[in-house]
Amino acid sequence: MIKEEYRGTRQWSRNSQAIAIVVWISFLSAAIGTMLFFALFDPVDLTGIFDEDLDIGREAGYAAGFFFFWVLSAISSAVTAWLVRTAPKRDKKRRG
Amino acid sequence: MKADVDTNKAPGAPMYASAEKIYPREMKGRWDSLSKLATITLLGLFYVVPWLTWDERQAVLFDLPARKFYLLGLTLWPQDFPYLAVLLIIAALSLFFFTALLGRVWCGFACPQTVWTEAFIWMEQWTEGTRSQRMKLDKAPWNWNKLRRKGSKQFLWVTFSLWTGFTFVGFFVPIRELGPELLTFSAGGWATFWTLFYGFATYGNAGYMREQVCKYMCPYARFQSAMFDKDTLIISYDEKRGEPRGSRKRGADPGTLGLGHCIDCTLCVQVCPTGIDIRDGLQYECIACAACIDACDSVMDKMNYPRGLVRYSTEHSMEKGETRILRPRVFVYAALLLLLVGGLVTSMATRTPIILDVIRDRNFLYRELPDGGIENIYTLKVINQRDEARNFRLTVDGVPGIEIDGVSGPVAVDGSGVLSLPVRVRAPADSAYGIMNIWFTVTDVEDPSITMTEDSRFLGPTP
Repeated sequence: MIKEEYRGTRQWSRNSQAIAIVVWISFLSAAIGTMLFFALFDPVDLTGIFDEDLDIGREAGYAAGFFFFWVLSAISSAVTAWLVRTAPKRDKKRRG
Repeated sequence: MKADVDTNKAPGAPMYASAEKIYPREMKGRWDSLSKLATITLLGLFYVVPWLTWDERQAVLFDLPARKFYLLGLTLWPQDFPYLAVLLIIAALSLFFFTALLGRVWCGFACPQTVWTEAFIWMEQWTEGTRSQRMKLDKAPWNWNKLRRKGSKQFLWVTFSLWTGFTFVGFFVPIRELGPELLTFSAGGWATFWTLFYGFATYGNAGYMREQVCKYMCPYARFQSAMFDKDTLIISYDEKRGEPRGSRKRGADPGTLGLGHCIDCTLCVQVCPTGIDIRDGLQYECIACAACIDACDSVMDKMNYPRGLVRYSTEHSMEKGETRILRPRVFVYAALLLLLVGGLVTSMATRTPIILDVIRDRNFLYRELPDGGIENIYTLKVINQRDEARNFRLTVDGVPGIEIDGVSGPVAVDGSGVLSLPVRVRAPADSAYGIMNIWFTVTDVEDPSITMTEDSRFLGPTP
């Protein structure tokens, strides 16, 4: 039997795990979403749709789009993770 | 350093209480050399490539501000996006292919997480020393020595991270301009932000999170087993040979002691960056870095036992002594890969260096002209993908008598330039009714084989 002192015992708490997963996976989704979206649309063309006077550059447009996607998918991931983790335990028992 | 193996008692004296973090022990060996080579090659590529030039511009530049990608001699436009999508699919399939054949080589040798973590561990070793020195240092109270060692580690880590962030951004904006701008604090806000963002991510991931990323956050680590079969290369402990494990005096005959070849020195556990015991069998935390193979081989050499108690092997090889490399799953992945790569290369080789986009003015249905003709308005975007200026002829067809008004003769488009041209298209009243399909054609004046056609609609009064 390996004594724990030889082995790294560092483990994240379940909450840290959940936060890390939510942040990371939504980051990946946002990266893909941003890439697809801005391959089709040029932020400079889009700003006019929201507000005629809005005059932000492309780089700000990309960044805004990326953070929009990131926040959106983070909310989705977080709620999903929370619902999965807080699902009634009884169901599990009944299924056996 | 050389692994010191005390054959009588397990190293890592009990003065070190339960470790809060993993202190991977450094280990030299064949696989460690391979991993060093992979790390240096991959990091070298990453840090050098943005500085290369091609035709007096940056050789690899994903110029997001200008919406153009330069890859050596190739210029890609947003319209070439399908290529990028196919390229990503090819990358994913290659991962499947290599996983089926070689197991988690990606994780052990090529994943950015592994590669940067490795570099950060080197810096840790230069400043804080070996595994036991690091453990001792963390336990020790703060003094000048600890401050100096920890301080220099942080200095190296932060500098390296910032340089990494700068290099990353240098793939997207010209790096030779970005460098001086960052140093004089005159770079654009977003370039600065992303430099710090990527730098911080590198620092956190490679300096602190390390194997936790693989264990908890990586989707690939969870689903890679789906690509595995009994002929996939994995790191395995030869249980038949090793068990029963136990410590012994050097030179003692394991046969008479009733022991296997495993001397239970726990070196394989100490070197493991994810902190597992490979002797418990294949575990999903194993990133196949082969550090335990090097560790065990060094011990086997000392004991004069044959190497390979822990080795790269396959389940079949462990059971029956043979491995089938060519199997249906490998063929399927390879065939799909060949198909996609072939298609991509053909398509890229035969693509016309011109793009035509037609945007119909949606605020404007149609207009009846005094002479009874019908007029629609469009914006034509002509993109010249060549590096030199070209002349193009624009035509429209699909309705009898239809013509482009206001464009006489060819139009010139700069090299790698976009011409955005609002045009009025007219058709005689007796031929334009309802919704009609029309098509615009753009043709290179000097080389008529370079041509592209794009469809659109022409609206007229309801008949």
